[in-house]
Amino acid sequence: MNAELAAAQLSERNAAADPQSERTVTAMRVLVIEDDKDAADYLVKGLRESGYTVDHAADGRDGLFLALSEPYDVMIVDRMLPGPDGLSIVESVRKSAITTPVLFLSALGDVEDRVAGLKAGGDDYLAKPFAFSELLARIEALLRRSGAAPENTFLKVGDLEMDLLAHKVLRQGKRVYLHPREFRLLEYLMRHAGQVVTRTMLLENVWEYHFDPQTNVIDVHISRLRQKIDKPFDKPILQTVRGAGYKLDPVT
Amino acid sequence: MKRLGGIFGSITFRLALAYTLIFGLSVVALFTFVFFSTTDFVVQQKEAAIEADVTGFQETFERSGVTGLIIAINRRANPGTNRDGVYLLVDSVGSTLAGNLQSWPRNAVADDIWVNFSIDGLRQADAEIADVRAKQYVIPGGQQNYMLLVGRDVRDARELRRRLVDSLNLGLAITLALGVVGGFVFSRTIMRRIEAITRTCRRIMSGDLSQRVVVSRQNDELGQLSLGINAMLDQIERLMNGMRQVSDNVAHDLRTPLTRLRSRLEGALRHTANPADRETIEGAIADADSLLATFAALLRIARAEAGSQRAFVDFDIHALIEEVVDLYSPLAEEKGLKFITQLQPGLSARGDPNLIAQALANLIDNAVKYTEQGSVAVALTTQDGRPALVVADTGPGVPEAFRGKVLERLFRLEQSRTSPGSGLGLSLVAAVAKSHGMELKLEDNLPGLRVTLQFPRQKGAASDSKAAEVKPAKPLTTNPRSGPPEPDSVTPAAAAAA
Repeated sequence: MNAELAAAQLSERNAAADPQSERTVTAMRVLVIEDDKDAADYLVKGLRESGYTVDHAADGRDGLFLALSEPYDVMIVDRMLPGPDGLSIVESVRKSAITTPVLFLSALGDVEDRVAGLKAGGDDYLAKPFAFSELLARIEALLRRSGAAPENTFLKVGDLEMDLLAHKVLRQGKRVYLHPREFRLLEYLMRHAGQVVTRTMLLENVWEYHFDPQTNVIDVHISRLRQKIDKPFDKPILQTVRGAGYKLDPVT
Repeated sequence: MKRLGGIFGSITFRLALAYTLIFGLSVVALFTFVFFSTTDFVVQQKEAAIEADVTGFQETFERSGVTGLIIAINRRANPGTNRDGVYLLVDSVGSTLAGNLQSWPRNAVADDIWVNFSIDGLRQADAEIADVRAKQYVIPGGQQNYMLLVGRDVRDARELRRRLVDSLNLGLAITLALGVVGGFVFSRTIMRRIEAITRTCRRIMSGDLSQRVVVSRQNDELGQLSLGINAMLDQIERLMNGMRQVSDNVAHDLRTPLTRLRSRLEGALRHTANPADRETIEGAIADADSLLATFAALLRIARAEAGSQRAFVDFDIHALIEEVVDLYSPLAEEKGLKFITQLQPGLSARGDPNLIAQALANLIDNAVKYTEQGSVAVALTTQDGRPALVVADTGPGVPEAFRGKVLERLFRLEQSRTSPGSGLGLSLVAAVAKSHGMELKLEDNLPGLRVTLQFPRQKGAASDSKAAEVKPAKPLTTNPRSGPPEPDSVTPAAAAAA
């Protein structure tokens, strides 16, 4: 990737349809709390290149101080830190009624650790090692979520419409029949329209699994979904983002 | 609780029994000694009495001749004076001169000068046959020699012998009975305490390292053993925690630079426009990914093997399988394979649903990967009262000799080396099976491979599915705030409220 992805994200942010568009006037602020210097440097550099304003704290104490005193749009917190560890930082942040989305980074990829992270008040959990594109996609999802309207029961992306109550999908006004799982997959993609959604995100959120599926199972599901929502129509709406994942995008 | 061979197989009982046998043997030896010395003593006493009689008779004969001897013998033979004496004096032609025997006993067994014989009707009142031990003498007279026989009825010695044998038998029977009963009681007492230790050990083996042996108040050998075991368990737990710590640190310390390597490659890719360079870098990223995936899989297996039961919940196996099948069945269909499911509803188990889902996913993934044509079948059945999960394919299968081997880490069959995979899929299944106490069987599907994962028997819950609390297959969600409510996974509580 990922100049194209970053550009796409920026242009996406500038879209007038976004109710949070005033936030895009100044760049999004990200706090990175990570003790490993090289990893931190890389994170900071990569995020800056992707258009974020980044603050970095190298230990738990500084991290907690920054998290409590500065307004951020998203925080990226390593689990294992000198000083207060990631969990207690996020617990303190949540106690102070700060609702900034938090993404945990950790080499501990167990479900238990993940649950502990989410219980402490984290919003997402990314196990090291991760692809940078995965991190960007998740940050994007978190930013959207924090501004997103509560549960919509009617979703519309371009000429694709989904009625969650009637369990009905229309494209160009024509009914598309989906299996329940395809329906959920499409719903997730529609709720994250315009963003890159990675295979892991789909596996975690649509199937709620937290393991490496070893094979391209997700691709198979996507290709089946394409057969129904794209193939019968002139313009494909579900894009593959090379090296990252998928994107439901009516613009292209 | 299963006792190996019941109480008779217990070591305490066998020791008590062996001790009883040794004790019985020493009782027999003691009795034998007492028996022989007592009976010998009685016989010796009789012989001494006979000698005394004979000496008396010889003196009488020297003093008063045959006539005096006859009178003396007849007086001694009188039942009023001597109850068990046997006397006979015959002349050289064999006619009886005195005594209480009719004639010289024909059945006398001569043993030098001692003779043993039986005789009927020694006394009128006595109907029994008397056993006699006697001594014969030749008394030299002037014209002729007289033969003198002096004996004693030794029936009472025989009686004594009989009684001694009787009491030996009785004593032995009592000894053995007490030994067996005592052994039974002792071994039950000790077995109960040892079984408590065994139970704890078994619980620990099944993964709950926090268990400790209860130490009884008496500070005896078993108490010492319990203390020793507990100290050992503390040590093991420390080591396990240390190992976990180390593996976590390894994960942190080694995967971080690996991540960085991958990230640098990603960064390089971002600044490279040359398609050839991009391809090289993308290849390097893919290599790094597969390295990282292998590393992650090894860590996952280590964790699954460590078997933390903290994440164990009761879950509906049927629902879990359906979801994994839902994820993987398109993979099989895409490859032109038939995907068959046969799931018995209403079965629940206890475990980590995420791990079991992953194990099943690995099995289905393997089945699809190695099967070129035919079908992949997933079944949930009950085998001897335990839920069993079966994944069968019509692929090349695994030769019997390699069925244990394929469960080992990084082992791959020669024929499958060309296909993608790390050789860790089945190892993870084996690790999950181990940490859950499940039985893992690899069999021939004729053709193909048939893998069975049999859940352990559950306490009480297996027969009564209504009583078992069945939680939804996946109580853990990444993100409770996002995503719409899933219509097909309503919690029992919500269903009840609706």
